[in-house]
Amino acid sequence: MNTQEAIEKLKNKFGEKILEASSPRENRLYIKVSNDALVEAAKYLREELGFDMAISAGGTDYPKKNVIELFWIIWSSTDNVTLILKTDVDRENPKIPTLRDIWLGVQKFERETWELLGVEYEGHPNLKPLLLPEDWNEGYPLRKDFKLEPYRAPWGDEEK
Amino acid sequence: MSDMMVYRGNPFNEIEELGDGMFRLHMGPQHPISGQGRFIILTDGERVFDIEVDIGYSHRGTEKLLEHRTFIQGIVPVERMVMIDTANILMGYIGAVERILGVEPPPRANYIRTIVMEMNRIISHLYALGLLSESAAWNPAVFLWTTADREPFLDLLEMLTGARWSYSFFVPGGVRADIPRGFKERLLVTLDWFEKRIDVIEEAWIYNELFRMRTEGMGVISRQEAIEWGVAGPNLRASGVAYDTRKNEPYAAYGELDFKMVTHTAGDAYARGWARVEEMRVSVDIIRQAIENMPDGPVRVRVPQRAKPGEALFRVETSRGEMNVYIVSDGKDKPYRVKISPASFRNFLAIEMIPKTQTVLLADAPVLIYSFDPWFLDADR
Repeated sequence: MNTQEAIEKLKNKFGEKILEASSPRENRLYIKVSNDALVEAAKYLREELGFDMAISAGGTDYPKKNVIELFWIIWSSTDNVTLILKTDVDRENPKIPTLRDIWLGVQKFERETWELLGVEYEGHPNLKPLLLPEDWNEGYPLRKDFKLEPYRAPWGDEEK
Repeated sequence: MSDMMVYRGNPFNEIEELGDGMFRLHMGPQHPISGQGRFIILTDGERVFDIEVDIGYSHRGTEKLLEHRTFIQGIVPVERMVMIDTANILMGYIGAVERILGVEPPPRANYIRTIVMEMNRIISHLYALGLLSESAAWNPAVFLWTTADREPFLDLLEMLTGARWSYSFFVPGGVRADIPRGFKERLLVTLDWFEKRIDVIEEAWIYNELFRMRTEGMGVISRQEAIEWGVAGPNLRASGVAYDTRKNEPYAAYGELDFKMVTHTAGDAYARGWARVEEMRVSVDIIRQAIENMPDGPVRVRVPQRAKPGEALFRVETSRGEMNVYIVSDGKDKPYRVKISPASFRNFLAIEMIPKTQTVLLADAPVLIYSFDPWFLDADR
């Protein structure tokens, strides 16, 4: 199955819920779904289209659009295609169902995104601090409004 | 008594007694280069019921740092992630940057990169094998063997790049320098010598009865589980999954070279160790081909400072497994977001899952952990 067939199948199945779909280079598939169809789309991608191995997950903060764009990167062991599955969540109240039950490999990546971006993965069994100290309460470092000033070296930095 | 005097738990307590004969054991390397970390092991003194990997002791916020640095300034924070494997780690970042800047390095630079990366892989695998055999309660002097064996490669890298570690040798658009006079001859002599050393290593460890008894059938991961948990690198190939980024998505000069992908089907600690020995032999083969077939030409091209808005994902096979770098650009000279997913971060999930699927004894826990070649600074970023 090539990437164009996968895009057509997804569009037939989910219609309007697929917001963006493209394949800019060989073996790459970028899919953006609306967040209410995320879990069904993920199940379909896993069971019907053969994307079985999770290799990354994370998010990007867009304060101007007031969204956090989440992504999950999945590889298909049968077709050797890498999928970047994306969806937007509201920045004020970022909540999304976990995909950990579909791809176990994203478990630690979702935990890390919860910690660094403040996204609540509903149904995730183990949301507790991973990289930051246990008593960290200074905000979410990967958000764009996180101020670096208190952490700069006293002798200055090259960027102001 | 002031608040300063109140400790949360006793920091000198390595073993916590939980009652009913159960203990929580805190085990972990505390080492300035290979990193700080902790394996929290739930045990009754004989069997391991649960392993939790506690990382984050040296989290440097690399992803955030990169958002505040230009593309070329990002080289230094990225390659510090894994000191022993800097070339492969840096290739992930440089590859993603080149993809988002829309440049292709010249062919000669690709071949030089390949040679440096494979030498780095040999160095890293030697270190991993030294730790694995040491943890398998074999003679710790073996670790000194492998440390000595990587010296000639470090000298060669110093000759080529000017540094033994953290070379910052790859830049967007190529490499910093061409190979110096006399490098090729010295490299070929070293490879001839090293091939004999691999035979010695294989005979001493892989066919060694004691090493086999300690590692065979231990920490088995089936093919299905390896895919499910997202295991990376030689650990994945030892479970029978034929994935090697160098083959599946060729970068640098790998697409033009003919080499073998090492796979095993057993999926145990023994297969993971053996896969690393065989991969060193494959690396020697790749370096020989690359130095013979190296084209002439420039080693660096000019690159634009600013990227076009867009995104790029680059996958690279580091010594510990596949790492991917996902860059989002908004058209400035700095990335808008960089997501680095290192191999050790994924392998740690497998270490946590194994005690849930099979019986692991406490005495086997170090062998289990080191068979994955973990690297805390990699996972911490």
